[in-house]
Amino acid sequence: MTAQLGEPDNLVLQARDVRFDWSAVPLHWIPRDPVATHLVNVLHMLLPAGEEWFVRVFKEAVPLVRDDRLREDVLGFIGQEAMHAASHDGVLDHFVDQGLDVRPFVRQAEFFFETMLGDRGLTGDRRRAWLNERISLIAAIEHFTGVLGDWILNAEALDRAGADPMMLDLLRWHGAEEVEHRHVAHELFMHLDGRYPVRVRAMAETITMLTSLWQRGHRYLMAADPIVQGRVKGGVRHMRRTGAQGLTPSGRMVGASIGRYLRRDYSPLNEGSTEQALAYLASSPAAQAALR
Amino acid sequence: MTRMSYPADLYGRRDRDRFWVAVNTFFTSVQRVRMLRSPVLPPVREVDRSADLVVRSVRKVAEDVVALTLAAPDGGVLPAWHPGCHLDLHLPSGRRRQYSLCGDPSDRRTYRIAVRRLPDGGGGSVEIHDEVTEGDVLKIQGPRNAFPLIPRDRYLFIAGGIGITPILPMVQAAHRAGADWRLIYTGRTRETLPFLDELAGLPSARITIRTDDTDGIPTSADLLADATPGTAVHVCGPAPMIDTIRAAFPSDATLHYERFAPAPVTNGHPFEVELKRSGRVLQVPPTRSALDVIKEEQPDVAYSCRQGFCGTCKVSVLSGDVDQRAPSDPPGDDTMLICVSRATKGRLTLDL
Repeated sequence: MTAQLGEPDNLVLQARDVRFDWSAVPLHWIPRDPVATHLVNVLHMLLPAGEEWFVRVFKEAVPLVRDDRLREDVLGFIGQEAMHAASHDGVLDHFVDQGLDVRPFVRQAEFFFETMLGDRGLTGDRRRAWLNERISLIAAIEHFTGVLGDWILNAEALDRAGADPMMLDLLRWHGAEEVEHRHVAHELFMHLDGRYPVRVRAMAETITMLTSLWQRGHRYLMAADPIVQGRVKGGVRHMRRTGAQGLTPSGRMVGASIGRYLRRDYSPLNEGSTEQALAYLASSPAAQAALR
Repeated sequence: MTRMSYPADLYGRRDRDRFWVAVNTFFTSVQRVRMLRSPVLPPVREVDRSADLVVRSVRKVAEDVVALTLAAPDGGVLPAWHPGCHLDLHLPSGRRRQYSLCGDPSDRRTYRIAVRRLPDGGGGSVEIHDEVTEGDVLKIQGPRNAFPLIPRDRYLFIAGGIGITPILPMVQAAHRAGADWRLIYTGRTRETLPFLDELAGLPSARITIRTDDTDGIPTSADLLADATPGTAVHVCGPAPMIDTIRAAFPSDATLHYERFAPAPVTNGHPFEVELKRSGRVLQVPPTRSALDVIKEEQPDVAYSCRQGFCGTCKVSVLSGDVDQRAPSDPPGDDTMLICVSRATKGRLTLDL
C-alpha cells in the first residue's frame, strides 16, 4: 500500500539539472498523429522565448519584493523557468535537424516576447507600471501552464497512443514543476499590485494572444512538416477531435479553468496536486538522473 | 518608441508579417493612450513572516548534540509541518541557520530541532550550544520543506549522524502509514547517535544501526542492500556518504536527498570583485563563492540553483580573468555565473 502522506506545503522551489537526448525521438512523436503532435509542438516554439522573458521580468521584480518567503519562491521559480527554456530549445534544434524548419515561427515568438513585451525604454513610475503589467500577464499565462501541467501528468491517453517516452518525460517534468510552482506568479502579482481589473484584463489579453499564436503556430507546423507537406490544414479547431481523445487538453477543460481564474478568491493552489507533481519528479528519468 | 524590427512573414511572402504589424500597432496605441494618465502603483506592503518562539527546553541527546524544544510565547498552535521541513533560526549574533524539524508533526504546540556542535563550522552550532538556554526567545522563519517525503509503498531511509533529524519524522510517518520501510543509521560511535531511545519504540527488525568503531566505514553495498526495485531511498548525512550512495545507486530505485546546500568550494583562491555601479570592492575568501559575498552587500542580486547550471546569476564581466567553473558558463564570452565561477587571480570588475 502506498503511504498517504497528505499534500506537502511550504515547498522550497529548486531548479533541477536535467538533460535530454533527442536523437532517437521521431518527428511525429505521437505515432501516426501529426495533428496532435504539432498541437503540442506549438508549445516548444513558444516556450524558450516566453520563459526567458519570464526570467528577465521576474529578475527585475526581485528587488521590489518585501516578503522573504516570496522572494525565495521567485528565485526558485526563475531557476526552474530557465531550465525549462533551455530544455525546450534543445527540442527545436532537433526539429530543424529532421527537416522541420521552425525558425520563422520562433523568430516571431522572439519578436513578441523580446520586443513587444520587452522593457520598451521606459523609466521611473512608467517602467514600474509596465513591470506590474507584465507580471499580471505572466500570472495569467502561469494559470494555463499550471492547468496544462496538471493535464499532462494525467494524460494517460498519450501513453496508450505510444507517445515517445523521452518527449513525455520532458513534458511531464516541465508540467510537474509548473504544478510545483503554480502559486508563485499569482502571489507575486498580488504582492506588487493585486487589482482585480488588472487580472481580468491580463487574462483577456492572454487568451487572445495564446489562441492566435496556437492557430498560427499549428497552421505553420502542418505546412512546414516535411511529411505532411500541408495536405492537412492546421488550426485549433482540431482540438475538438484531439481533446476528446485525450491527446491534447480540451477547450471545455481550459474554459472551465478560466472561470475559476476569474473568481475573486482564485487560488492557483486549488489547481492540480503538489503531491502528484512530486511523485512524478521522484520517478522522472531526467529528474532522477540529475540527482545521481 | 524607436522603429520596430518586425519579423518576416512565416511563408516568405513579405519582409514584415502583417499580423505582427497589426498587433503591435494596436498594442502600442493602447499603451500610448493609457500613458496619458499617470501610472497607478499600489503600495507594496512589507510581509513579516518571522515569529518569536521561546526555548522551552534544552536537552543533551547525544555526545555534542542538544535538542531544543520551541513553543509560542502564549503556548498557542504553531503552523503545521510535514516530515523534511526545516526552520530558519535567526541567532542573537545575527547568524541565520537552517535546522530540520525532528519532533512529532501531530504535536501542534512545539517544534523540536537538534544541533550538533561543530567547532570548525561557521559558529552557529557553537553559539546555540554555549549561549542558548531555556527561556530565551529566538526569531524563526518557516517551516519550509526542501526534502519532502515521497509517497511510495517501500522506503529505505539512510541517516548519517545528525542527518537523523529530518529522517526521524519520515520513519515515523512511514511506519504510521503502514509502509514497508527500513532504516540504516550510521555514525562514529553509539554515544554520538541521537534519538536511539525514540527508535527503540519501532520494530527493531527494520532498523540497522552501524557505527564506524565496531562495523567500519559503511560501503555502498552495506547502505544499499535494501534498495530493491521501486524503493524510495531518502538520505541525509555527510556529503561523502551521499557521494558513495550516488556512485552505486541502482537504476530501478529512486534517490532523494536535500539538494539545497551548494557544493563546497574546492581549490578556491582568494580574489576581489569590484561592483561597477556602486564602486565597492569585496574580498572573496577561498572557501566562499562570489555570490555569497556579493549577496551580503547586495541582497537583491538574482540567483537560483547556486550550482552553476540554471544561469540566473549570470553577470557581465567588465575586466579580469574568469576561471569558468560552471557547466553552463561558456568560455569566451564576457559573462560569468557568480555562484560557482571565480577569478583566476586578482580582481574582477562586474556589471553590478
